Amino acid sequence: MKRLVPLLLSLVIAAPALAAKDQLHFYNWNNYIAPETVKRFEDLCKCEVVQTYYSDNEELLAKLAAGAKGYDVMVPTSNAVEALIKGGQLMPIDKSKLPNLKNINPIYMNTPFDPGNKYSVPYAMSTTIIGYNDVKIKELGLPTDTWAVVFDPKYLEKIKGRITVLDSANELFAAALKYLGYSANDVDPKHWNEAVAVIKKAKPYWAAFNASSYIKELTVGNIWLVHGYSNDIFQANQDAQAAGRPFHILQGMPKEGAVLAVDNMVIQKGAPRPDLALMFMNYLLEGKNSAELTNLIGSGNPNMEAIKYIKPELLKNPAIFPDKAVEAKLEQLKDLTGPQRRLRSKLWTEIKAGR
Amino acid sequence: MRRRPLGLWLAAAAGYAFLYIPLVIVVVYSFNDSRLNAEWVGFTLGWYDKLFHDDDMLVAAGNSLAIGLVASAVSTVLGTMAGVALYRHPMRLLSGLVLAPIAIPEILMGVSLLIFFVLLNFTLGLVSVALAHITFCIGFVAIVVRARLAGMDEDLIEAARDCGATPWKAFRHITLPLIMPGVIAGALMAFTLSIDDFVITFFTAGAGTVTLPLQIYSMIKIAVTPEVNAVSTLLMLLTLALIIIASRLSPSLFQTDRE
Amino acid sequence: MARPTKRWGKWLVGGPPLVYLLVFFAAPTLIMVLASFRTPGDFGGLAPLVDSAGKLDLNLDSYARFFTESVYAEIFLKSVGYALLTTLFCLTLAYPLAVLIARAGKQYRNLLLLLVILPFWSNFLIRIYAWMIILGPQAALARGVNGVLAAFGHEPVPLLFSSFAVLVCLVYVHLPFMVLPLYANLEKHDQSLLDAAQDLGANRWQRFWRITFPLSLPGVYAGAALVFIPALGIFAIPDILGGPDDSLIGNVIKQQFLETRDWPFGSVLSIVLTVAALVLAALAAWVGRRNLVTPSSVEASRA
Repeated sequence: MKRLVPLLLSLVIAAPALAAKDQLHFYNWNNYIAPETVKRFEDLCKCEVVQTYYSDNEELLAKLAAGAKGYDVMVPTSNAVEALIKGGQLMPIDKSKLPNLKNINPIYMNTPFDPGNKYSVPYAMSTTIIGYNDVKIKELGLPTDTWAVVFDPKYLEKIKGRITVLDSANELFAAALKYLGYSANDVDPKHWNEAVAVIKKAKPYWAAFNASSYIKELTVGNIWLVHGYSNDIFQANQDAQAAGRPFHILQGMPKEGAVLAVDNMVIQKGAPRPDLALMFMNYLLEGKNSAELTNLIGSGNPNMEAIKYIKPELLKNPAIFPDKAVEAKLEQLKDLTGPQRRLRSKLWTEIKAGR
Repeated sequence: MRRRPLGLWLAAAAGYAFLYIPLVIVVVYSFNDSRLNAEWVGFTLGWYDKLFHDDDMLVAAGNSLAIGLVASAVSTVLGTMAGVALYRHPMRLLSGLVLAPIAIPEILMGVSLLIFFVLLNFTLGLVSVALAHITFCIGFVAIVVRARLAGMDEDLIEAARDCGATPWKAFRHITLPLIMPGVIAGALMAFTLSIDDFVITFFTAGAGTVTLPLQIYSMIKIAVTPEVNAVSTLLMLLTLALIIIASRLSPSLFQTDRE
Repeated sequence: MARPTKRWGKWLVGGPPLVYLLVFFAAPTLIMVLASFRTPGDFGGLAPLVDSAGKLDLNLDSYARFFTESVYAEIFLKSVGYALLTTLFCLTLAYPLAVLIARAGKQYRNLLLLLVILPFWSNFLIRIYAWMIILGPQAALARGVNGVLAAFGHEPVPLLFSSFAVLVCLVYVHLPFMVLPLYANLEKHDQSLLDAAQDLGANRWQRFWRITFPLSLPGVYAGAALVFIPALGIFAIPDILGGPDDSLIGNVIKQQFLETRDWPFGSVLSIVLTVAALVLAALAAWVGRRNLVTPSSVEASRA
């Protein structure tokens, strides 16, 4: 024991020196890039891609706000990109190094929060929709194309205790606002109060506010309907089929519209290897590489070149590639101002406290 | 060996059962032929195979083990000193400083340590994580050691000192063996806290630092496959083996003085 | 006779941990305590300490919010309730375990102790997932319980995503932190005291209540502190398997640092939590000192 500790200590201290190879630090969501994609890039650039993970935009924002450094490429969602730009945390992108940028569908470029794409480049997309167990929901005769199945007690009483919603104030308020016919980005306090009323009325029927284990429960069959992310729901179905379950997990796009989350590649200000970062970003903008992620997890894809590499059944899936009519109803969430966030937090706490 | 009352056996057995039923599920499901951690489908060793080819997971497990050993060793030493000091000379400041890290929400501690390290321009990495872990582990050790000392026979120490023993000798040969069960209990708790910590580690880890909890929590939504069960099972067995080896190598360290 | 070494012996022993904690705990925490008086940054973090006019930007807004919006105090009290229940259940489960280990033969003691803590070297998430399997609606336990309830005409009750699930996991996660301190204390109890009592005619219960339990009180308080205090701030368990009403103060604090990006308010809630925990701990210690029943005091009262 006496010798073990110094040995381990010396290993721990020596470790950084051993990793002298070129490194690209990639801070990403878990399971948000295909392993083959990374491997091919490492062969291409003769470097090592060091991946670390976060599971929530806010975790990324909090860590960077406290001063964490050392990341090259990160993949925040649009509203987080907005916060990062305003906070001066990003490095401008040298677009001359990104010839493949032309592959991206122009409707996703030039956003209000990053005009001219000075700092961000679209990577992949997902929507926040309804996921459901097709057998059970058919049995109960419930609709799956409207938010009413999540908020209206006349539907809810049939699935009491078998439905979960996301544990995110932003997402749940967005869904409630859409259900009420407002924009997901509506900031009128009166409308927010209406949304709160809708949520409180539906809450007794919900099993939980859950953002972490809901997919598992859906796949196992304990939960029959969820308010969740399209990628996760897609994966849940794949798992359910692999486990031989007697049902499918399907995606339901509500007709009132839903939240669209576009995840973007950005470079942290003061990144150690911006050159490698740009090389990586250009590589990921190639159609073939971009398609690998969609084929893996069923994510939406803003890359026009990728279409020819994506599996046909995914292209036909309206939740992954929605048609024009649905696209018009999808909205990206905008970042709220400080006072707005505080009001929402107060309302959210009151909802959670059961007042 | 004394006859123990049946009630005691039953109650203790119930306690162990409560502790182990979930663990049995964890170990058994590491052989489950299903990506989900939810229902038994069939037997396979595939997850262990996947684990041995998964460099990221192995490095993360290694880091967690290394940090755990270092953090528990240092915090046990510092915590024992604090426990002894608090018992002999109750110092309000030390008492508060020892208890507060246990009370303070982890998120606050994580964010504050990150800001602190950044202010000092301290490179984030395994060392920053270890320093953070030591901080919250000291209190656990100190409290257990102090409780162990409560009611201890001071006369023994006085007698030794009267016979000419230096304070260090008195500590090493009398106090230390007497408090050893408390020290061991504290060390075990510190190690457990360290290898499973997520929040504080998340904030104080560097851009390339991964520990097992960081790796696993990022998979929380969809990918907590039986590979995680496999790495957990192996980590448990490895730690158990390390401790058994250590106790054989230095039996005096684990001896208690009764009998 | 007071030895001169005794005074600076205090600094020799207490010094290193004191310095370590001052540097790595007090200093960082003071930064966040200061943050509780500052304004949140517009897009996260904190607003600059010295604002554009060159003035120091400190205020009591966040504290005022805590005292005027009562929902936070409500949730805080709920968390105290959960933590108290957790501590009580842990004590009940841990005591027999600790007694058994402490009285076991020398060669078994360390092994039995290791067996208590071994499950906790597996990952936390995996253990909670195991509980989700055990408490799930399709598993034997839930079916059994609901079967019994159905026999009485009662509606089925969910075991998962409920306060019950949260409590079970809270107790589970904190159990070793009650067993270990109790064991460390019980281990040194002198069996001859109990033998003497038995010879004098005391039965099992009397031996326990009059001798063992009072002597074990320092261990009980240590275990209670190491369970109650961390349990106050927990958020992961309600997040993963709590019901819609099971939000605790730890969840609210986490929310302030993440989704709301209101660090000053998060600091305020954290400070209130920490101060309350320390005050409760000090109170319990004070009560303990007043009511401590030792065998000698019992003897004195009988004489």
